Amino acid sequence: MTPLTINGLAALSAAGDRPEALARRVAALAGERHPGVPIGGIVTEPLPRAEGHALTDFDVRARLGRRGTSFYDRATALAVVACGDALADSGLTVDDTNRARVGVVLGTTVGSLKSTSDYTRETLVQDKPYLVNPMLFPNTVMNCAAGQAAIRHGLKGINATVTGGPLAFFNALRYAGNAIRRGYVDTMLVGAVEEFSAHRAWASALSPAGGEVAAGEGAAVFVIGSDAGSAGNAAVCAVATGYGPDGTAEQALTDCVARALHVAGAAPTDITLLITSETTSSGRRPQRAAALRALGGHRPADLVVSRAAGDCGAATPALALAVALGLSGHDDRPPSGLVLLTAQGTDGGVGAALVRR
Amino acid sequence: MRRVVVTGLGPVSSIGTGVTAFGAALRAGRSGISRITSFDPSGFPHRNGGEVRDFDPAAWLHRLPPERWGRSSQFAAAAARLAADDAKLDLDTVDRGRAHAVIGTTSGESVVVEAFTARLVEAGFDAVPAQLVEQLPAGRLAHAVSEELGLRGESLTLATACSASNYAIGYAYDLLVTGEADVVFAGGADSVCRWAHAGFYRLGALTESACSPFDRDRSGILTGEGGAVLALETREHAEARGAHIYAEVLGYGLNCDANHPVAPDRDSIAECIRIAHRNAGITPDQVDYICAHGTGTPANDLVEAQAVLAVFGPKPPPMSSIKSMIGHTMGAASGFGAIASALAIDQGFLPPTINWSHPDPQLADIDPVPNVARPATVRLVQNNGFAFGGNNAIVLLGAAR
Repeated sequence: MTPLTINGLAALSAAGDRPEALARRVAALAGERHPGVPIGGIVTEPLPRAEGHALTDFDVRARLGRRGTSFYDRATALAVVACGDALADSGLTVDDTNRARVGVVLGTTVGSLKSTSDYTRETLVQDKPYLVNPMLFPNTVMNCAAGQAAIRHGLKGINATVTGGPLAFFNALRYAGNAIRRGYVDTMLVGAVEEFSAHRAWASALSPAGGEVAAGEGAAVFVIGSDAGSAGNAAVCAVATGYGPDGTAEQALTDCVARALHVAGAAPTDITLLITSETTSSGRRPQRAAALRALGGHRPADLVVSRAAGDCGAATPALALAVALGLSGHDDRPPSGLVLLTAQGTDGGVGAALVRR
Repeated sequence: MRRVVVTGLGPVSSIGTGVTAFGAALRAGRSGISRITSFDPSGFPHRNGGEVRDFDPAAWLHRLPPERWGRSSQFAAAAARLAADDAKLDLDTVDRGRAHAVIGTTSGESVVVEAFTARLVEAGFDAVPAQLVEQLPAGRLAHAVSEELGLRGESLTLATACSASNYAIGYAYDLLVTGEADVVFAGGADSVCRWAHAGFYRLGALTESACSPFDRDRSGILTGEGGAVLALETREHAEARGAHIYAEVLGYGLNCDANHPVAPDRDSIAECIRIAHRNAGITPDQVDYICAHGTGTPANDLVEAQAVLAVFGPKPPPMSSIKSMIGHTMGAASGFGAIASALAIDQGFLPPTINWSHPDPQLADIDPVPNVARPATVRLVQNNGFAFGGNNAIVLLGAAR
């Protein structure tokens, strides 16, 4: 299968709003966990802990102006900014000659949990249950961020929102690859976004696997296409997703890695870096174990990006790919080899991707 | 190129669960609208919705423990089980790694989000039970299908709002055409909830008692719910096991308005129709029936009709809205539309637009199949789905050839 070239990217995380910022933090931490920063004024509700991994200085108006942005929720703002930055990085100019051929697919867990929950809250606490703000209603719908990105940047091609939590970015890569290969569009902006809020921080802390890594936020977006002229660029070589019913997720993930290797025509020894979406920093790591089972005896370097970026839900693997493309190799040479990214969503949902640097 | 066929239909709806009950209700023009009971609607000026009153997940689910899954996931899994049964598909004979689940939704586990919120309003975030948190992720709708049927292929929940089922059917079609799949369970699910009822009311888009699309005096939607899943197979796979073929999926088209978050866009919808026709390799004169998005708001029905007239000319095919019967089932809506379309082809009738009493002079060229189902030879159907975010999606179904 023809690889899809990565022609531009953007990554906003607690480490900063430049793509290289998180890679620098990852390199500096050398596997240690970043404690996060005091969340302060961006959240008014009580939090499970005072620290988190948020872009505490992020101001959408400073980036995009006031016009059209006043009803954005935080996830939408992060996504729209990231889409714009990625387009700028790619050098692609969107105009009437190509806007129908440029699309967007973004990954999420539940959209903006805060927007939805706050809306429901109004129906409970107002004098009348219908005293909600109609202008905020679209924010309760999970496709809000992708729809607003299309409006802001004039993108009339396929516009999709996929769910899956940590798996969502892999779903987005597959969805985008299909749209391009089937000839529906020429270019897709592919990414994932998650916002910091009390709702997400609590959901992260209360979930069975959660709490060890503080909640985070971020957005990463990649401009991908099948352009022959971009042969030197990084490329998505294979993405495999699957489901393991009856508690067989780990076996399903091993199968996904093997399938991705097969599709990419690659050998395990071609892999120089393994990045899992795990949010645990110690103890058993089932994703790593499941991935390694498909690699024979090969043991690539491995990385858990949530240690640097926090639990960014759907955005974690997208940020991880930005890190992989931003890290320097030995002696500061450009990185090389294949990166294997893995994710496990809820229940039996799993995915793996191979990206050439 | 591989061809894609519909071999099983799984509707869980307010007018009937299972293809026999649903099909009979469509033909009879039955209404599934009643006073809302899943939340207390008494504080709202409008109190009707399209709830699946008698939904008993345990009656349909073989493997999924209902108590661990939210209502929308239960709808999706029950609908998929019904579709598999209707297709007479023995899953033990299927390569499970090549069997996928693709489910569309608007609000995912909205009832769970509301329970989560009610708890935090009452007692604070730290009082929210972990099992509610576990049930929040929208990705579980497709996972419920994969778990219930034991599928090991892709398990994807698309959240493209009210056209999401058409997105799901379209992506499933591609998985089958490109040889990645033998079988895909595709459709959508959503649940009635307070916040959508409130939001549509405040947008001025919620009608009081009955939804009357294409009527001069139409005044909005009613929120509905349910699960709508179709069993799709490659024709080769279906024929090898002697399956009944309801219809063939001929192709689909997607585009984005990139204009306004909620207002529909005539030119963009017309372009989406043209894209769908081009991808399916058909021309407008071949279309026998349009299963309309037909929400029943003054703006939607007018814009949809104008877009259809722009593509089809002054004599478009009949165009009815099943939302008149089941309300707006959000992410499941175009899945129910696809099921109705497949039945129209298979059984030779046009589902009616009920509650229709006054012709709208602005829609004079539109035949909404008023009130009574009509016998017809239906060889090609266009199933429309439009959504917030300008997410337009149109699927074309044809008679088996």
